[in-house]
Parts: sequence; structure tokens; C-alpha cells
Amino acid sequence: MSERRLEGTGVTPLSGVGAVRWYDQSVDLPQPPDPTSVDTDAEHDRFEDARREAREQLQAERERAAEAVGESEAEILDAHVQFLEDPQIVGSVEDAIDGGLPAEHAVSEGFADAIETLSAAGGKMAERTDDLRDIRDRLLRILSETETVDLAAVPEGTVVLAEMLTPSDTAKLDPERVAGFATAKGGRTSHAAIFARSIGIPAVVGVGDALFEIEDGAEVVVDGTEGTVVLDPDEGTRQRAEGGRDVEIRTEPVATQDGTEIEVAANLGTVGELDGAAAQGADGIGLFRSEFLFLDRDSPPDEDEQFETYVEALEAFPDGRVVVRTLDVGGDKAIPYLEQPAEDNPFLGVRGIRRSLSFDDDLFETQLRALLRAAGAGAGTLSVMFPLVATVEEVESALSVVEDVAADLEREGVAHARPELGVMIETPAAVLLGPELAERLEFFSIGTNDLTQYVMAADRENDDVADLHDPRHPAVLRAIDRSVEAAHDNDAWIGMCGEMAGNPQVTELLVGLGLDELSMSAVTIPDVKENVESIDDEAARELAERALGAETKADVIDIIGETQ
Amino acid sequence: MNESHDTTPQMIQRTVTVVPEEGLHARPASAFVEAANEYEADLQVGPPDADPVDARSMLGVTSLGAKGGDELVLYADGADAEAALDALEDVLSTPEAEFDDE
Repeated sequence: MSERRLEGTGVTPLSGVGAVRWYDQSVDLPQPPDPTSVDTDAEHDRFEDARREAREQLQAERERAAEAVGESEAEILDAHVQFLEDPQIVGSVEDAIDGGLPAEHAVSEGFADAIETLSAAGGKMAERTDDLRDIRDRLLRILSETETVDLAAVPEGTVVLAEMLTPSDTAKLDPERVAGFATAKGGRTSHAAIFARSIGIPAVVGVGDALFEIEDGAEVVVDGTEGTVVLDPDEGTRQRAEGGRDVEIRTEPVATQDGTEIEVAANLGTVGELDGAAAQGADGIGLFRSEFLFLDRDSPPDEDEQFETYVEALEAFPDGRVVVRTLDVGGDKAIPYLEQPAEDNPFLGVRGIRRSLSFDDDLFETQLRALLRAAGAGAGTLSVMFPLVATVEEVESALSVVEDVAADLEREGVAHARPELGVMIETPAAVLLGPELAERLEFFSIGTNDLTQYVMAADRENDDVADLHDPRHPAVLRAIDRSVEAAHDNDAWIGMCGEMAGNPQVTELLVGLGLDELSMSAVTIPDVKENVESIDDEAARELAERALGAETKADVIDIIGETQ
Repeated sequence: MNESHDTTPQMIQRTVTVVPEEGLHARPASAFVEAANEYEADLQVGPPDADPVDARSMLGVTSLGAKGGDELVLYADGADAEAALDALEDVLSTPEAEFDDE
């Protein structure tokens, strides 16, 4: 049988293989009985008992969620308890019981009204209807004594499939047992997705109705990097999904055959991912996406919270380096509580450093204060980089804010240090100004996803131009080469933190181009480290020279391919 | 509770501006309902020009859709009415950032 791929949205750069267990939390109600045969008092008692049990379940799950994911996710379950105690909802369920319905039908009716009320409020309020459905189904399961799959106790190597997973469902998933999950509905920012990322479960969401064709017990691969669910995977797909198991984990820094050390680091967004990065042998963090600290909450993290987060990252890699990218919002990354102008073309608008320098909301200063304090805290090496730089003025402005913040901390007698400072190379402007930028900074990190988008004028989200959005185009390779030269001529180091860095097929090319550091999703680190150790410097340089001389992407692929 | 915004002697009301920028949802709404549950008085909340809802109802409070800068009228009827309104006003006047410091 040949394999079949279902497309969805990958939410973690992880893959897993296992046997399907469908999780269906809905409860089918029979026809309601004749109202005269219903014992109203008994039904009131049943409703009360069900609420009590639901409350106990929620409290237990809340504790688990707080421990596994953090307070902010746990608070979602607090809201569930409040809905459970809501006089308006409880009142309408009780009215329905008084009207002659059994408790389960009354719950269904009372919650239907509540869901309608919230949907009518629109916007953010309407998002809470999922919470209401979650509580309703919990009450119905208790009342009808429906046995559902216990998510906390599935056998090891289970892939959970569901229409969607609620916050309380996701809180039960045990990464030791669950090989991955996939849902028909939901997007990258659903609670299920956020949870999957924070505990490192392979996950694909939004697969659509095709998911329902997969049967219980079938073997599937959940590939969170590709965003696919593969039914009846062939041997190669299965092995790739089990990833890393047949590749040795190298926890020490690696060097080429000729002794050139290449730093291999991890990209991540939350401290929950630090252990996973260390377990794959990361030398440090090459891209800490600090905007993740600002997601899934109602207000920005304060200076102390940021400080503690950065220190935690540094302590995880005491001998390594942690590169924090300052808040990079705008474009595709809006944060609801932050002011963001409506833009016709957000990818060319107020993103990255532009936002930090133009908004008078102290977010940039607060973040730099936290970073300078963390740099002075002792462990590891902290580096700070600014995203989407296009001018020398932006770098000078950012550096002067750093100086101001350092002077403030000095005056206040707060311990701090100046971190290593650098920029992301993402715009053609930054490439062309490479020497001028490098003179003022200690390092560069190439963000190949955006660099490719801007060099090739090809939207990274538009499938119709996917062929153009490919860093193997000669124009992109030459932009990388030029940046490396500018950095090295000015005694700056240069890394790469775009997806290209984690592609084991191009490790030799990147080392040949002269990159000092490669940073990627933690799961690809073992493969890339293995590749680095097999590289002959001279051969890699020759490969890079030939690729730089190529006229077309097809030629580049031929050249890289020859050496595989 | 349905007659509570008639002008009976113990019945008091107060107009307050919502401070949290994102309005009365999620954490601020939770904190509001939690605060209302601490008091005996009959408590309601609503926009100046429409019927109020039960201040202890997460559903009611959330469905108001109140945003930062909106005015809300708080109604209280009962022995601890004054203290209850103080507490509710306090929640509505707390910027969201401070809900993080629990």
C-alpha cells in the first residue's frame, strides 16, 4: 500500500509515528422522554452532582496544566469553573429541568442559549464559545456516564486524532506517551497548538475533513515540520519521523575534518523548549524569538519577567551563547494588545526594529533593560540582535537606546553588562550596507526566510510563487556570500537562523560559504552536526564557489546534488 | 434582581470607565466576577443605555463586550453595597498589566 499525505498546518517542528486513537468528546443524546415521566427533583440533584464532579475534575486538570505548561494556560480552566458557576447559565438549565427535561437535555439546551449569547457579542468574546462547548460536553459525559478515551493514559506511541482539542483535553496529553496529534480544525494559535509547542509534541492542525477517513489503529506519521499527516507511511518516511534516533546526539561543539568549529544552535520561542534543545545537542540558542513571551496573554511581560526568562535561557547553556532577537512584531505577527496600524502591505510596513524605534510605548526600553541585566547575571554569553534592519540610522538609533538604558541602569546601581550586539540580515538593503553595519556591530544572523522573500520579491505564504521563494536561487546565495564577506572583513561573526540552516542537504554549502554558526529547529541539530564533522574545508569552499557561479536555481541544485 | 435599578433607598449606582485596553474579557472579566462573589449585595452591571446583567455571571459580563474606554454603570442593592461597588470599580480601573502580578 502506498502512503497518502494529508495537508494541514504544522505547529511544532517535530515528527512522530504511531497508532491512531480517535478522540471523540461529543455525546449523542437520545430523544427526551415524556415530560410527565421526569422526576424533576431527581434531575436537579443529578445536575448538581454533575457540576460538583466537573468542578473537581477541572481543579485537578488546572494543577496539571499549571505544572506542565504554565499559569497562563491554567487560567483558561479557571474561566471554565466560572462558567460552571454562572448564575445565568445555571438558571437557564434549571428552568429547562423545571420545564420537564432530564438533566442532560437541560444542559444541552441551557448551554445552547449561552453559546448563542456569546457568539452574538462577536470578536474576542465569541472565541470563548469553545470554552462553553468544552464545559457542556464535560457535563454531558458525566451525566451520561460516557466512557471516552482517557488522554492521560493512552498507550505509548499513540497518535491522537480529533475534530479539535479543547484546552482541558490538551492539558492531559503526556509527551511520553503521545507520539503526536492531529486535528481537523484549529490553527497555529489555537490552544492545542500553543500547548503542543510548549511541551514538544509533534502536531498538525487544520487538516480538514480528510482526517476523518483515517481509522482507529492505523499507522500514521504526524510531520509537524511539513504540516502533513501521512497514512500508511513507507519505510523512509517512518524512519525520518522517528528522526534522530539513528543519528548520534553530539552534545559537544563540532568541527569540520580540518578543525573549523561550526556553532550549531537551536531556534526557539519559549523556555519550555530549552530542555528539548539541549537534549538534541544544541551548543546554544541562535534565535530566541522574544515575541513568544508576548503571545497568548493580555498585556506585555514586565522587565522582571523578561529578565528571569533570559537568565533561564542563559543558565541552560552556561558554556554557550544565547542570541535574543528583540521584539519582532508586525507583518504576519500581530499581538492583539499592542498598537498596530492597519497596513495594506504589512510585510513592507512597520515591522521589527521599525516598530521598536517608532512607537513611544517603552516596550523596547523595557526589553533592553531586561536584556542588559541578564547579560550581567553571570551565566553564558548573551547576544542581542535587531530584526529587519535596512539603514545605518536604525542601527545607530538602536545602539543609542542601548547606551541610554545602560546609563540608566548604571545610575540606578543595577547590575548589568553590555551584551554582544548584532542585526538580522533580512533585507536587500542590509546586504548592500553590510560593511557599514558590520563596522558598528559584533555579529550578523541571516534570516533566510525573509531575506529570500525580499530578494526574490516572493511572498513566503503564496504557493503560486513558492518556486521563487527558495534560498537556492543564485541571487540569494550571492546575498549570503556578500554578507559573510562584510562580516568577516570587519571582525564580526555571522550565523544563519532561517530554515535553510536546518536543511542537512545544504550544510556543506553553508560551511563553504563561510558561516560561523547555524541555528535551526532543535530536531535537525543531530543531522547537521553529523554533516559538519564529515566536511572537508577545501571541498566545501569549491562547492560554494561553483554554486555562486551558477546562473540558475536548477544549476545550483545540480551542483549541490552532485556532492550528495 | 430584576427590580434592582429602581430607586429604592439602599440601592446605589456608580458610573465607571473601563481601563483595561482589551476591555472586559478573559482575565479582567474573571477578576470582576470573582470580586462580585465576595459580597452579599445584589450586583449588576451594564452600559448606561441598556439593561444590566448579573455581575456574578461570567456569561453576562463577557457578553457585554465592554472595551477599554467604555462607560459602565454598576448597580448594587444590599447591606454591603458601597463596599461591593468600591471593589468592582477597583477591578474596572486596574490596567491589564497588573492582572499578571498575582
